[in-house]
Amino acid sequence: MKQNMTMLAAVALTLVASPCRADGETIAVFTKNQTNPYFQAVRVGSEASAKNLNAKVIQYIPTKPDSIPEQLSQVEDVVVKKPDAIVFVPVDYKALVPAVEKINAAGIPVTNITDRIAGGQLVAYVGADDYNIGLESARHLLKAIGGKGNVLILEGVKGTLTNTDRVRGFNDALKEFPNVKLLASQPGNYQRLQALQVMENLMQSFREIDGVLAANDPMAVGALEALDGANRKAAVIGINGSKEAVELIKSGKLLASGDFNGFIQGCLGVEIALRNLRKQPTPKEVILKPMVISKANFQAYETPVEQRQCPKLAELATN
Amino acid sequence: MTKPCAVATPSLLARVPGVAIVLAILFVVLGLTSPSFATPANVANILVQSTILLLLALPMTLIIMTEGLDLSMGAVLTFASIALAITVLATGSVSLALLAALVVGSGFGLLNGWLVAALDIPPFIATLGTLGIAQGLSLVATDGQSVVGIPRSIQVVYSGSMLGIPIPIVIGAVAFALLCLLLYRTRFGTYVFALGGNREALRLAGVPVRRMLIAVYALGGAMAGFAALLMTGRMSAAHPTAGLGLEFDAIAAVAVGGTSFERGDGWLIGTLLGVVTVGVLRNGLNLLALPSSVQVACIGALVIFALFVDGLRSRA
Amino acid sequence: MSTAAHGMPARLTPSRDTLQALYRLLAAGLLCVVLSFLSDAFLTPGNIINVLRQTALLFMMASGLTLVILTAGLDLSIGANIGLSACLAASVIKATGSPWLGVATGIGCGTLVGLLNGALVTTLRIPSFIATYGMMWMLTGITYYYMGGETIHGFPASFRQFGSGYFLGVPIPVYMMLLFLLIGSAFAQRTIWGQEIYAIGANPVAAQLSGVPVARRLVLVYVVSGAMAGLASLIILARINSAQGDIGEELTLPAIAAVLIGGTSLFGGSGSLSGTLIGALILTLVLNGMNLLQINAAWQPLITGTIVLLAVWIDARARRASE
Repeated sequence: MKQNMTMLAAVALTLVASPCRADGETIAVFTKNQTNPYFQAVRVGSEASAKNLNAKVIQYIPTKPDSIPEQLSQVEDVVVKKPDAIVFVPVDYKALVPAVEKINAAGIPVTNITDRIAGGQLVAYVGADDYNIGLESARHLLKAIGGKGNVLILEGVKGTLTNTDRVRGFNDALKEFPNVKLLASQPGNYQRLQALQVMENLMQSFREIDGVLAANDPMAVGALEALDGANRKAAVIGINGSKEAVELIKSGKLLASGDFNGFIQGCLGVEIALRNLRKQPTPKEVILKPMVISKANFQAYETPVEQRQCPKLAELATN
Repeated sequence: MTKPCAVATPSLLARVPGVAIVLAILFVVLGLTSPSFATPANVANILVQSTILLLLALPMTLIIMTEGLDLSMGAVLTFASIALAITVLATGSVSLALLAALVVGSGFGLLNGWLVAALDIPPFIATLGTLGIAQGLSLVATDGQSVVGIPRSIQVVYSGSMLGIPIPIVIGAVAFALLCLLLYRTRFGTYVFALGGNREALRLAGVPVRRMLIAVYALGGAMAGFAALLMTGRMSAAHPTAGLGLEFDAIAAVAVGGTSFERGDGWLIGTLLGVVTVGVLRNGLNLLALPSSVQVACIGALVIFALFVDGLRSRA
Repeated sequence: MSTAAHGMPARLTPSRDTLQALYRLLAAGLLCVVLSFLSDAFLTPGNIINVLRQTALLFMMASGLTLVILTAGLDLSIGANIGLSACLAASVIKATGSPWLGVATGIGCGTLVGLLNGALVTTLRIPSFIATYGMMWMLTGITYYYMGGETIHGFPASFRQFGSGYFLGVPIPVYMMLLFLLIGSAFAQRTIWGQEIYAIGANPVAAQLSGVPVARRLVLVYVVSGAMAGLASLIILARINSAQGDIGEELTLPAIAAVLIGGTSLFGGSGSLSGTLIGALILTLVLNGMNLLQINAAWQPLITGTIVLLAVWIDARARRASE
């Protein structure tokens, strides 16, 4: 009888102490704005991961897109509420350092994704390498045009880390192809309409354009529209791997798009945050390999974000 | 210290409830729906966060009273913060840095005032133009990058406390008191009232109207320069797009507070309440974790509702 | 000042308006001359067509707004209105495959928003600045919520003609611009309703006393402003072939700037649609010039701001010279 009781007690204890059903943690996820599909993908990924792992996610997005003071305020407000963990995309990787320090001071663990924050203590960083994505995508295009010709760069928003790195990647790729001439580098501010109008204007100055390196997909599509409108053709690449881009790659209009995948980062950010809370081992850093989506491999990217599965952490950890 | 704002005409007193009603409603609703809202820590949070906006909204009240507008305040605030950051990094002196920010702010304020008063350019356009100039200068000076490495001495302005009260709140209170004094107790203040409703009378009376107008805009610029100290302290950095758009919040706070665009009435307490109302709303929406799109819609609804209530009261 | 029928104060005499229009045209002409010297590509047919098309779009947005500003009001919700109308129209086109339903949705949404603005301003007596500002936030919130961070893209070719098609070598939006310029100017200068709108801006009290149905005219101008925003959203949709929540965000200030550069006064009662056209042209020329001359991104807001100021200063001088 005593033995049975002990056994029962032991079983009961194991069940109670078992970590496999640790749930209900609240993770606060911070993204930059409501309109960029990239961040929508991050949010979808974060929710998918949380669902898999039995946790809850609350989204914090500035009402004014990319507003530094607002994100600062949101962090200050959230620290009062004390979520279990925070997954953080800083609006600006330098200006939001005090916010991270505040979160640290409040004892809430922070996982940083997308833009690497310039300070503060982090559980981990998950990111893609904008520089390498820019580099690889540009190389893809430059090879495709045979290593010679005239090329334009459509820049994103001046001052953002993604833009600085991607454009740097473009420029470094150009250095590898000395027979390619860079005609101009003008800002489209990551906006489709603006890129379209800028492209139209540039097409007036330059009769021969063989390639366009656009720092994101909406601008790439804007450039394509401008080219179409004038019945001209050029090889165009974008970055984002958005649904629209994949469709255009499939139909052959867009040459390629660098995969800057918010979905995976959202997944991994939440997963790492939860593993950290549940005292499971976590990597310090996950840098996703740069992938260029082109006619050769677009099928994998055709599923809409909402239907994708979160990848396993083990597959992607680089250290 | 006497309370200058208590010297109010009956019509002013009658208008207190307008924005105060809205604020009270918000407080009750949020206090009931969100447990962390009505805590001292959170309220202090709201007040501290609202200070920068208050420093912009107070002079904006005066400008609006003169039937003007200053759309450049956010951009000037941003550029002043960059000037401040660059100066403190170059010289290590906080006072020199603050001076730089004030000079930049006042400079733009003077420019605005001159464009409006001397060149007769409508304030909307004049300040839209200087907005572009200030924004452009910010981008050029920093090449789009944040300026970092701000010393503790500046960070402490935002995060430190004096006798247990956070420094920003102290600054806000002092600014409020000073502006009240200026508006309600000095001759300049009476002129400001007249600049809105009765400019011709002033001119006929021989008052240098142009200089008064320029002074009003210069004040706005100077306070934006001062606010730059708080903003830089808050971010420990200066960023070329950080303050953009704040002027619209300031204008909304002034309007929600009851200052009319048409009549030259000025209502600083109203502005203060308006600023706090906006801050309370945003904070509450964050605490409730409402989807951001809903938050955006709520802010619009609040602004309209506040004026609706105000309209009801003034017609009652 | 002569009085017209109804004993209302007449709007400004034609000669002063014409003088100001001439000054502005001069400014635009000057810009063209300077740009053609600085850039070979400027005077090419391709570039001229681009400039015309971009001007047409800006004009469409700014035309209804001109009427609002003539009444001493302001419509800050234009950009957000464009965003919402575009997104709704896009969904409808995608869902039903019918461009015409999409057009109806876009214009319908814009008009409805205009109606709401008008109601806020006339019935609830909320100052237009604030009413449209609040409306801007609400529309933006609704748009974001509706789109959920997604984009809608890929519209039928027949629809896209609207924005990117040509007729006799000239882009279709340019014809629309001319059409609305004619209709709008005729309305403003030659109909009683138009004169009443000027009167409301010049002196609302006097207008009311002379029997002008002020509230109804005010609602009218906001409805027109909203409807034009809806129309503009369709052109943009057709041009860029996609809809995203933030399409309209950057569009409000340029629209207002175009009206003001065009000489319409914020205080109401003076201005014209042809002025707005020239204002739109000047703004477009500036952007076009900056692209052609490949001006560094950081300098662009600086230059735009300075030119805006310059244009308005010239206008202010002309105004004072004729006083």
